[in-house]
Amino acid sequence: MRKFQPVFMVLAVLCCAIPAFADSGSAAINLVPIGAGIGMALAAGLCGLGQGKATASACEALARNPGARGGLMIFLILGLALIESLTLFTLVIILLKVK
Amino acid sequence: MPDSLALTRFLNHLFGGVVTSLLQMLGVHPAYPDAPITDAFALELLVAACLIAFFVVVRLTLSVEKPNPAQHIAEMVHDFTGGMADQIIGHGYEKYQAFVTCIFLFVLSNNLVGLIPGVPAPTTSPVVPLGLAIPTFLYYNYQGFRAQGPIGYLKHFAGPIWWMAWLLLPIELVSHFARIMSLTIRLYANMFASDMLTLGFFSLIPIGIPSIFLGLHAFVSVIQAFIFMLLTMIYLSLAVSHEAH
Repeated sequence: MRKFQPVFMVLAVLCCAIPAFADSGSAAINLVPIGAGIGMALAAGLCGLGQGKATASACEALARNPGARGGLMIFLILGLALIESLTLFTLVIILLKVK
Repeated sequence: MPDSLALTRFLNHLFGGVVTSLLQMLGVHPAYPDAPITDAFALELLVAACLIAFFVVVRLTLSVEKPNPAQHIAEMVHDFTGGMADQIIGHGYEKYQAFVTCIFLFVLSNNLVGLIPGVPAPTTSPVVPLGLAIPTFLYYNYQGFRAQGPIGYLKHFAGPIWWMAWLLLPIELVSHFARIMSLTIRLYANMFASDMLTLGFFSLIPIGIPSIFLGLHAFVSVIQAFIFMLLTMIYLSLAVSHEAH
C-alpha cells in the first residue's frame, strides 16, 4: 500500500486541480454559504467541547456525592444554556448577515 | 397581506382598524395597515386568555376535601416554582413567586403552541421574547430598588471599592442591559433553530422521521421556559440580596 501513496497523492491533487481549472473565467464563487458553514461549525464544535466538559464534571461530581443532585442539576442546566446561547448568537449573526 | 391563521384574520377583522389608528397615534406605522395584528400576537392573546381561564377555574373550584385535576396541576406548578425560588432566592421568595410562575407558564405555553403542525410558535419571532425580557428587566430592578432603597441598590453598580467605581459603573450597566439581549436571543434562537430543524428534516423525509424532532422541540420548549424562569430568579436574587458582593 505504501508504494501507492505517491499515486494517491497525485490523484488527490489532480482532483482538486481539475475543478479549479474548469472554474477559471466563470463568475466569482459565492463564499457566503461557505463562511456561514465554517462559522457555525466552529461555534457548534467548540460549544460541544465546552458542554462535554461541563457535563463530564457534573457526572463526576454526582458520582462522588449523589446527595447533591438537586443543586447540581440547576447549575448544570444553567451552564449548558449559557454555553449554548453563545452558539445561538453565532446563528443569529449568520441569519442577520446571510440574505 | 401575508398568509395568516384564521384566528389572526378574525381578530384583524374585529380590531384591525382600531389597532392601526392606535399605533398611528403612537407614531408606529404597521407594514400592513389592514392587518396590524400578527400571528404571534394573536397566539399570545389566545395563550394569555387560556391561562387566565385556567387560573379562574382553579380559583373557583378550590377545595380541600375534593381537589379536581386543575387544582392538582396548579399545586404541582406552585410546588415546582416555589422549590426553585426557595433554592435560589432563599428567604422571602414568596413575594416574587407570582411573577416567575407567570413567566414560566407563559413562555412554556407559547413554546408548546408551536408543536401543533402549521402553527408557528410565537416565540420564534424575536419581538415576543423581547416583550418578555423587558418586563423582567424592569421588574428585577424595581424589586432591587424596593428591597435595598435607591442608594443601596445603586451601590451595587459601583462595585466594592469606591475608587474603582468610575471603571466598574459602565461595565455593570452594560452587563445589565446585555441581560435583556441575552434573554431575548436565547429564547428566540433556540425556538427558531428547533423549528428550522423540524422543517429541514420534513423537507428531506416527509413521513415519520420529523415527529422525532417534534419530540426534541417539546424538550427544548420545556428547557427554555425553565431557563427563562431560572435566570429571572437569579437576577432577582442578585438584585435583592443584602450581602455586599
